[in-house]
Amino acid sequence: MENQPVIQIKNLTKIYRDFWGRKKVRALNSLSLDVKKGEVFGLLGPNGSGKTTTMKLLLGLLFPTEGEITILGKPASDVSKNEWIGYLPEESYLYRFLNAEETLDFYGRLFDMSPQQRKERSDQLIELVGLQNARKRQLKEYSKGMTRRIGLAQALINNPDLILLDEPTSGLDPLGSRDMKDLIVKLKNEGKTVVMCSHLLADVQDVCDRIAILYAGELKELGRVEDLLKEQNETELLTSKLSPAAIADVEAALAKHSAKLIRHGHPTNSLEDLFLKTVQKSQERPGQRYVPTASEKS
Amino acid sequence: MTFDRDPFVLLTGLRDWLLVFGGFVGIIFAATILVALGIYGTSGPVAVMGRVWQGLHDFTHLSPRRIWAISRLTILEAWRRKALWVFAVFAFLMMFAGWFLDSELRADMQLKNAVSFALTTVLWLTIPVLLLLSCWGIPEDIRVRSLHTVVTKPVRRNEIVMGRILGFSTVSAMIVAIMGVVGYVWVLRQVPEDDHPRLSRWNRMCLAVGLLPNATIEPDLEKGLPEIDVTAKKFCRMPVYGTLEFVDREGTIASKGLNTGDIWEFRSYIEGGTKSAARYKFAVNEPVDQVKLESRFEAFRTHKGRIGQSLLVRYVLVNPKKSLRVPLPSFEIKEFSFNEQFIKREVSYYDEDLKDTRTVDLFKDLVYFDDNEKIKHDVLQVEVQCLDSGQYLGMSRPDFFIRLPDRSFLVGYFKAVLGIWLLTVFIVSIGVTASTFVKGPVATLLTFSVLLVGQGFREFMIKLITGEQKGGGPVESWYRLVTHMNDTLALPDTVSVQIMQGIDKVLLSGLWLTQHLIPDLSSFLMSPYVANGFDVPWGVALFRSLAMTIGYLIPCLLVGYYSLTLRELEAK
Repeated sequence: MENQPVIQIKNLTKIYRDFWGRKKVRALNSLSLDVKKGEVFGLLGPNGSGKTTTMKLLLGLLFPTEGEITILGKPASDVSKNEWIGYLPEESYLYRFLNAEETLDFYGRLFDMSPQQRKERSDQLIELVGLQNARKRQLKEYSKGMTRRIGLAQALINNPDLILLDEPTSGLDPLGSRDMKDLIVKLKNEGKTVVMCSHLLADVQDVCDRIAILYAGELKELGRVEDLLKEQNETELLTSKLSPAAIADVEAALAKHSAKLIRHGHPTNSLEDLFLKTVQKSQERPGQRYVPTASEKS
Repeated sequence: MTFDRDPFVLLTGLRDWLLVFGGFVGIIFAATILVALGIYGTSGPVAVMGRVWQGLHDFTHLSPRRIWAISRLTILEAWRRKALWVFAVFAFLMMFAGWFLDSELRADMQLKNAVSFALTTVLWLTIPVLLLLSCWGIPEDIRVRSLHTVVTKPVRRNEIVMGRILGFSTVSAMIVAIMGVVGYVWVLRQVPEDDHPRLSRWNRMCLAVGLLPNATIEPDLEKGLPEIDVTAKKFCRMPVYGTLEFVDREGTIASKGLNTGDIWEFRSYIEGGTKSAARYKFAVNEPVDQVKLESRFEAFRTHKGRIGQSLLVRYVLVNPKKSLRVPLPSFEIKEFSFNEQFIKREVSYYDEDLKDTRTVDLFKDLVYFDDNEKIKHDVLQVEVQCLDSGQYLGMSRPDFFIRLPDRSFLVGYFKAVLGIWLLTVFIVSIGVTASTFVKGPVATLLTFSVLLVGQGFREFMIKLITGEQKGGGPVESWYRLVTHMNDTLALPDTVSVQIMQGIDKVLLSGLWLTQHLIPDLSSFLMSPYVANGFDVPWGVALFRSLAMTIGYLIPCLLVGYYSLTLRELEAK
């Protein structure tokens, strides 16, 4: 079941035409790929590579010029497939005159959910995305990050099996970004399938099982993230702190096997980790400030 | 305006609608199949059939909850975007309108003006708001892409169109209802004091809403005022119109009377003091204790006549099958006003042959079955004669009618309000449909054009199509303008003129089609009935408007659905 494709794309081509039917741009060219159940799949590529076009074709917002798309066993044009899909657009295209509760209630109604289901699910999702204090405010008063959060909540209102996320971390602060990534992993653990496209390669690397890299509408790479990133000709060892003598011994040992030490040093944390640690400390000890070291003072 | 329109026959209307709608659907379907075959080969018609099947599936799997969700959203949107500020404009107009309405007029004319003003204000404040809301809703949703999030849910495109139409119709219902109630109270406050000197304002309101249905005013002995039945003033007449034929001065039957030189031929005249008469035949059903006849005739004088007196008129009840003629007492007509006459069940008259007074039963002796193909009903024939020689009495079919028991003014008023709402539903249907395939400004222009053609320019279009309008079609009139040719002059018989007239024929055929596609929107406007003291008849006005609204709503839903389904919302 794990390998059962949730999305099947075969020879998908999309050509944008002008008013007179003349070809304007070939946004996608014979794209074929499968997304399996329970995986987090990333669509990568520079601007204009066809990521968002692929997403919109999956959702039926655009019609393919050629090729076929099957989602959850149904063609992309079949509206009933949307029962099991959640979609977070690049910008949260929501009704700005509604508040958070009304927004979720509205989208819940579109899924034919009962009033009680809508209420329960809305409360749950508002808490999940951390908008408890802004639930009665109209979306036009929201910051971009808050709008992304409510956008995510509406995408999850139906507890979907397949979640399509277009630039999910765009507009979010590092904390929000981390929460989003944690949520994606959580959804994956719940057996959901997630397809996301993003410019933030670190985010994709953190959460995706498989990725596809598009360039000028064509598929250039497709596979598991670790397989694609693995450097086959090199080996990485991580040890506790070594003295210079120990490093020399390691070099000698490697030389015996016709290998050489390419680089050694102390591993660094990511900036994201540092930021998150700092914020966490600040929350634990409010009022504590940065104190310059003696060398900085001199 | 005439209050005597042909009644709406549902089955005939349905048959005509099916013919037109079925014809259009058939033509469009056949054309689509042919075009698809030409472009895509055999796979084209298969795809078209697939779309048709999908349409059938979508229309049979509608979700009321989703439709209501979109309607609710529409209502909230209108509310939060302050569309209901229209009430402020309405309140402002109502506060000061009384200053500008003529208080020197006769009481019933003041009432007429007040009712007309209130209903016209409701109409012209509601239409622009609904026109803009309905034409901009979907295009704005597409522009800001909020519709894109909606269509990624299991929402069918017809549910979006239906939800929008229902939502805007609900908004219009709220606006029209609130304005209607406020307008009604305002009308009551505008009724001149002379009309009900003894009733308090509260009692007037109770009277109008039917809590005091038979209230009359006690005579004021000090001031010597007569007893006035105020209920008659603010209740709606229920007329039963008959057929009309004329008898000329020689006693010969004619379809028209005399023309006194008036270019407006609505009324025909009978000559006084001759055999000339007008014969009205009224279809009657159940016998009643008395029949009330009401008339409004126009006098044309060839001499001054009796100074200070009006023309003398006599009704003669005729039963040709029994050769019975029963003349009723003559009376002076009230010009520019209604004459009310009551005929009791037992009618006594002086029989010239018997030289004695005779009594007959109105229904047993005077009502007879008319075999005429157009009537075929029990009828009461009333002959109208003018007794003043050298004077003429003008009348048309709606000028004389049997007045059935009056109906509540409140009900009549709100029937007119209902008519306004039906018109807004029609506008909303057209506006929402147009907005599914063009942007807001174009949709507004398109819907406004439908309004103009359906009401303002309709008469002119009909005159153009029927050739009543002198000067020919567009090309011919342009030719006449350029060559400074009078529109009564005949054009030369040349090839170029024939070509020009041929082009005109094609253009006028397009106009003919437009005129038949766009309904007569004046049917929705029922305020003249109420303003003139008539009940709004269901059969003639309201059923027609309701059927028209539904008749246009169905194709609108189809067009809107296919327009949204076949378009790429994200097309660049």
